[in-house]
Amino acid sequence: MSMIATDAPARTRAIMPQLGGLYAIWLREVKRAARDRGQLIGGVSRPLLWVLIMGIGLNPYFRGEIYGEVRFVVPYTYLQFIFPAVIVLNIMYTSVQSAVSTIWDREFGFLREILVSPLSRTTILLGKVLGGATVALFHGCLVLVLARFADVTLTPAGLLSGLLWMFLLAFGLTSLGVVIANRVRSFEGFGVFSNAVILPLYFTSSSIFPLDPSLTSAQSKVVYPEWLVTLVEINPLTYAVDALRGAFIGFHQFDPRLGPIVLAVMAIVFFLIALRDFSKT
Amino acid sequence: MSEPAVAIEGVSKRFGRTLALDNVGFEVRPNELFALLGPNGAGKTTLGHILCTILKPDSGTARINGIDLLRHPLAARQSLGVVFQEPSLDDRLTLYENLNFHGLIYGVPAAERRERIAKMLELVELTDWRERLVRTLSAGMKRRLEIARAFVHDARILFLDEPTVGLDAQSRDRLWGYVRQLRQERELTVIVTTHYTEEVEDADRVCIIDHGRILVNDAPAALKLAHGQELLRVVPTEEATAVDIMSAYSDRAIRKDAEIILKSGGEAFTESFLARYGSHLRRFVVEAPSLESVLLSLTGRELRDQAAGARERTHAFGKRGGEHTR
Repeated sequence: MSMIATDAPARTRAIMPQLGGLYAIWLREVKRAARDRGQLIGGVSRPLLWVLIMGIGLNPYFRGEIYGEVRFVVPYTYLQFIFPAVIVLNIMYTSVQSAVSTIWDREFGFLREILVSPLSRTTILLGKVLGGATVALFHGCLVLVLARFADVTLTPAGLLSGLLWMFLLAFGLTSLGVVIANRVRSFEGFGVFSNAVILPLYFTSSSIFPLDPSLTSAQSKVVYPEWLVTLVEINPLTYAVDALRGAFIGFHQFDPRLGPIVLAVMAIVFFLIALRDFSKT
Repeated sequence: MSEPAVAIEGVSKRFGRTLALDNVGFEVRPNELFALLGPNGAGKTTLGHILCTILKPDSGTARINGIDLLRHPLAARQSLGVVFQEPSLDDRLTLYENLNFHGLIYGVPAAERRERIAKMLELVELTDWRERLVRTLSAGMKRRLEIARAFVHDARILFLDEPTVGLDAQSRDRLWGYVRQLRQERELTVIVTTHYTEEVEDADRVCIIDHGRILVNDAPAALKLAHGQELLRVVPTEEATAVDIMSAYSDRAIRKDAEIILKSGGEAFTESFLARYGSHLRRFVVEAPSLESVLLSLTGRELRDQAAGARERTHAFGKRGGEHTR
């Protein structure tokens, strides 16, 4: 009995240092990102290329007729259509990049400095993921600067929900990045990640081409090959892109409730997997 | 008697088929300088990892200041300062930011944090470098910074894992100087693992470990008395004498180029040796028993480091600052 009585105040006292530690780890992530020129250049050049070059370039072809017949009923320009997807792309790159830094923390010993501190594994991972998510959210916001070039009008309500979905996405992807990083034993450059994880997920998320919302899944398989439609439908990022389209241009290809649910589930599940892995180290 | 600073009892740890630690037990008293000495692969590092709670033993108990490491690892870590064999600083933060980070994760209040950081930077003579990025420092300076860091949270037990590996002689002396100074100023228990025997000659106790087992654990003087060996190092004037000595003392002499090293058999032995060969020697040295000779006679192994492995090569890639090596 006396054990329990003395343990309770000890636990309340223990929360404050955990919060301080959380802040320290978060701050470290943000500082390092702010000092990394290369990452910043990528965060700026990616939206410029995708929105201004690719978006404007493909804009005239987007709503064309196929065999004399208008097949798609997407009431938006290509620029507007691709804009939310570029936000997802920028968040994806940055999240995975900051997660990859855990490999170097592990290999170069800084992780040990944190592991022998009185911080719990949960605090350490949460600080890391929150830090990475903050940086990724910032890189997502870099895309928003281009909104007026893409004819996207930002409303306060749209912006608010958009930022929330962006944050959930960044949190989930950073956790996913940590899960992957934990499983990587030999590191051979970031290119592997971008080619094997980021780009496949991005291209199969209905980011650069629409699935016609007026068609059923069976009908879209007539327009597109079946395997592609299936890939798009099972890719969770499809629903993240859809949620952001809903927030910024008011367009949904799927049930509007699906996006937020998938985003929340991704954030929670990936974080829990990362935590399980991390607690074993 | 007061509670031991560190108490380890019956600790065993197995990695696959290798038994890295076999029923290891010892106590470190408060304010002691305790050295763990042993060849590479003896189990020192494994033991160190168990002490700083990043590895769990298969069996046995370990306590720091009476706190059970297995049951309350977070509380136990609070009083422990660790300096790892490999640097564990963030290269892309400044010296101050590294120390401040440490203070934050150990829950040191802001005012104390500032004060201690300033004091510790002063002690390790790095105040002028405070706002520089850590990657601009030399290996020796990094090590000094890590010592300073361990005291930002007022550690009472300092664990140094091979602290002087890869440092030049001057940096090594400096580092030990700081440790001596800190031990004079405050209550501080130091546990050090090393394979440089000359560094732990003034330790309070030396614990020699090999193949995961403790061989001896005593004061250096007592160890030398019990296991040390007096050596005669001689350089004969001509080759014929050398050959003669080697054949006369084949059971106790080894030859290294021009020099012959003989296990001494006491004063009578030395006298008879000198009576016979004294006029044919260019150099003659009687070497008092050292910890090194203790270690050699107990473990029968050389102590120096082996060549770099695959892991070091991966590290080299990262150190060159390759793509996204953040």
